Amino acid sequence: MRRKFRMSGLLGLFLLGFAACVPRAASAAEPSCDRACLTGFVDQYLAAMVAHDPSKLPLGKNVKFTEDGVALKLGDALWATASGLGNYKLYFAEPEAGAVGAFVLVQENGTPAILEVRLKVVKRRIAEIETLVARKDTTSFLNTDNLKEPRPIFLETVPATDRPSRAEMVSMVGKYFDGIEQGNGDIVPFDKDCIRVENGIQTCPSSASSALGALSCGAQLSTKIFTYIQSVSPRRFPIVDKERGLVLAIVRFNHPATQQTVDVPGHGKMTMGRYSQWPNSTSIAELFKIKDRKIKEISAVIVTATYKAPTGWE
Amino acid sequence: MKKKLVTVAVACLLLFGVIVDKSNRAAASANEATPAVSNACDRDCLNGFVDQYLDAVVAHDPSRLPLTRTVKFTEDGQRLELGDGFWRTAMARGTYKFYMGDPVAGQVVFFGTMREAGSPVSLVLRLRIEDKKIAEIETIIVRTGMNPARPNDTGAESFEKLGGPDPLFLETIPPAERVSRDELARTANKYFSGMQQNDGKGDYSFFADDCSRVENGQVTTQGRSANEIQTAPPASGQSASGQNGFSRNTSYGALAGCRAQFQSGLLHFVTRIRDRRFVVLDTEHGVALAFIFFDHAAGNTRTFQTPDGQTVTAGPTNPWTWEMAEAFKVENGKIRRIQAIFQRCPYGMSSGWSSWEDAMSDKARW
Repeated sequence: MRRKFRMSGLLGLFLLGFAACVPRAASAAEPSCDRACLTGFVDQYLAAMVAHDPSKLPLGKNVKFTEDGVALKLGDALWATASGLGNYKLYFAEPEAGAVGAFVLVQENGTPAILEVRLKVVKRRIAEIETLVARKDTTSFLNTDNLKEPRPIFLETVPATDRPSRAEMVSMVGKYFDGIEQGNGDIVPFDKDCIRVENGIQTCPSSASSALGALSCGAQLSTKIFTYIQSVSPRRFPIVDKERGLVLAIVRFNHPATQQTVDVPGHGKMTMGRYSQWPNSTSIAELFKIKDRKIKEISAVIVTATYKAPTGWE
Repeated sequence: MKKKLVTVAVACLLLFGVIVDKSNRAAASANEATPAVSNACDRDCLNGFVDQYLDAVVAHDPSRLPLTRTVKFTEDGQRLELGDGFWRTAMARGTYKFYMGDPVAGQVVFFGTMREAGSPVSLVLRLRIEDKKIAEIETIIVRTGMNPARPNDTGAESFEKLGGPDPLFLETIPPAERVSRDELARTANKYFSGMQQNDGKGDYSFFADDCSRVENGQVTTQGRSANEIQTAPPASGQSASGQNGFSRNTSYGALAGCRAQFQSGLLHFVTRIRDRRFVVLDTEHGVALAFIFFDHAAGNTRTFQTPDGQTVTAGPTNPWTWEMAEAFKVENGKIRRIQAIFQRCPYGMSSGWSSWEDAMSDKARW
């Protein structure tokens, strides 16, 4: 009798364990919060922010919030100043990781700024909030006039059979940062017509009058005019949206200012940008569109940072 | 059972012994610390470390320095390897030099000018000396025109035009009139408490009648016109772009004198003055120096009522923090001179020398 009971008890435990495993297996295959659910969290976040009321949000117990790399109480910083939202909202999501982000045009006491927000959602609660805010007076260049709506290519779906793996996509983007460090566009899998828009301004190829501005993204790197960017470190790839072929990288460009000029073949000695003039860094949230295994477009939110300032998520 | 009790009792006694021993040692070291450190490196010795440090910076060679094994270095609040940051770009020392030593604490703070890429920059340097070795290095570098937030900053040139610190800072206080370190810090801290969410209704008798203030090389207590102030480097809370529309009756800077500015209630937009670290308390000269952050949340604190009944909207329109070192000359319990070096930093940033809780607190520490 006793033995029988023991047996049935073991069986019961086994069944319980099995039952516990089943939903977990299902949730791994099918995320509990899909794309629509995740982007809904972003919308909820933005609405609460403009209402200056974080209590409206479903938050994890230990939720962490940073703005421009600084850990703050939720409700502070842009939460206190956001006065409205623009129409420009570009979402990207990785449902398998509970990760979602957006580039959004915001109004701050009536002045436009670009917000990058990354959320991590765990069990339908917000566990992580990482933001960068490009403001007119915290970055050397910004043009929000062009940000009416996202460029359509970022919304295109990649056919299921053409989707590279997460690791492949991250590797392609990593080569872009290697190309910057090495001054070599040839190692980067650029599409020949690649476009990069930074803080609302197209910087490659750009319509700026400078001779180098008109070059392609790859050719610009090979001129070594970005030599002042000594390192792109740390690098994180928190969101890889395979369905849309998007990778969000959050990185820090470090400019030690040990070199202000560079010899550019065919152009002679040129002075590099203003960021080569004193030790500083830039915090960058950069979104890459990968199509046909090439980097087709880049969109970045850039904020000037203190030299080697932590991103808050190391 | 008995055996257990004995074991517990022995354990308790041992623990108690450890606690007593530790507290005795702590008390003994507290009693001994002051004279020991005081004798270790006097004012000249501390100033010598400043010169030695800056010469090594200009030579880009930290190996010249006597450093403790665990020396810590920060530049603009970021922990860096010694030799990085300004160490790579410094070209020469400038002409402005202001040393503030605290032999009791083994600390010295220096306000000065330097050259970087041919341009003058302002520097704040704090060194803590331990057994004649540098244990802590904290720096703030304020650059001219390089920071998008302060395109018109002329701080370093202005300091050099002043020539040197206000002579009052260098005068010794007669021994009979010297106050304790605590009292010195408490008086200086009244400045921060009176400015934070300033309402004009406090007791501002801690200002001497002739109190004046220099911020980044500019006198900001002379009651200059709003127009002059807008073209000068921004004083606390004013936007570099001048977009905040200060007018004569809503700008504290248009008022003459430290006390009048506080009485105006126009500094309300300084939301929080936090991480108040008094690192120099020089009772011999009546000089207190603190590293602090001024936060301007830029939300609903921008609109407020002044004591004369005006409703004023003022201050930055986006979250704004000044990273700052501020020195006070205190005589007879009153602040006579104030001098500050500061720059904009990411909102809410920490100094690298405090816990997050202390960094966010408005409680003074020394």
